[in-house]
Amino acid sequence: MNAFHRAIPLLATALTVCLAAAPASGAARGGHGGHAGGARASAHTSVNRPASRPQANRGVDRGSTSNSNRNVNRDSNRNVNRNVNRNVNVDRDIDVDVHHDDHWNDWDDHPFATAAAVTAGVAVTSAVIGSIVNSVPPSCVTTVINGVAYQQCGSTWYEPQYAGTTVQYVVINPPR
Amino acid sequence: MGKALRALPRFSLTSDATTEIVLDSGEKIALDGQVSYKVQPPQRMFVELKSDRKLRQLFYDGTTLTIYAPRLKYYASAENLGKTLGELVTTAAQDYGIEFPLADLFFWGTERAPGDQLTSAIYVGAGTLDGERIDQYAFRQPGVDWQVWIAQKTSLPQKLVITSLDDPAMPQYVARLHWDTTSAMDAKAFTFVPSEGATRIRLLPIEAVAVEADEEESP
Repeated sequence: MNAFHRAIPLLATALTVCLAAAPASGAARGGHGGHAGGARASAHTSVNRPASRPQANRGVDRGSTSNSNRNVNRDSNRNVNRNVNRNVNVDRDIDVDVHHDDHWNDWDDHPFATAAAVTAGVAVTSAVIGSIVNSVPPSCVTTVINGVAYQQCGSTWYEPQYAGTTVQYVVINPPR
Repeated sequence: MGKALRALPRFSLTSDATTEIVLDSGEKIALDGQVSYKVQPPQRMFVELKSDRKLRQLFYDGTTLTIYAPRLKYYASAENLGKTLGELVTTAAQDYGIEFPLADLFFWGTERAPGDQLTSAIYVGAGTLDGERIDQYAFRQPGVDWQVWIAQKTSLPQKLVITSLDDPAMPQYVARLHWDTTSAMDAKAFTFVPSEGATRIRLLPIEAVAVEADEEESP
């Protein structure tokens, strides 16, 4: 029972890790060996869904072309996430500390469906300015400068933002 | 059901729901969560979305939609999202990717849930759900098969099952709905007041997300 209970968060964590790039400094190896992959779909939570705007109607890649048209018209939020996801270029040897149960409850972004976007063409072994992660290591410190909240993790600074109901962290130049 | 929903002067609703996620491998994972609505049509609403790994509150006071993460203590706001809750729910999804679970509660009985979308309708039969007499129906429309259990007494939906057809694994959403249509509501519930330590962050418009994705395509 205990092992089972731990397995679920670990599974979710493993998936998150695969999608998230984190700065190498001060973090332990994830050690999950390989790329577990992310989520490709989730169940709709309503029958009738708002038609998406044209901007969100592109680039849906679900690995199942026969369904793509229907999907394009049904889900603006996930379409956008997929657009971002498609360009992920994440270092497979991601450094992140994954065993923080006390952090787990606060690590409250959807670990499956939301992907990190990392600037294309850049190998990510440390955080690239403009790259996006879904969580930051627990060692990061919240710093408020001019009313704006940042997460400082060693020399790397993140600015949190909402994408839908998900909080993402964008790597930025140090604000000070 | 649509008529009954639209006739409610206000309602509180708690829902226990299971959402299936499809991994790239095709394996399905079921995630449980609770959704609580406090709704005072046409313009006020409070929603809490709670699961093991996510807690969000959404406030709409008729003007400003605020999303808040009580544990992360980040909030963000958007304005001018519509005159009705149906418009709000639609615009929030279109412009900001904010999805309200069970959004149909604001669509049924309006033009946002057009009956001509249905390609099949089956009356499964009468039954009992938690001691309450219900009628069960099954429908098909583009992208989803769905079933609803409607209370005979109130004509309100008591259970909803949505099967998404746009992925071959066909993930399901199963929600039980528990209604309170009589209790009074505190008007303060709809207005967000930042608590100590809460900080405002950006809410990314969908256009911006799409543009950023585009930029990444051309190195």
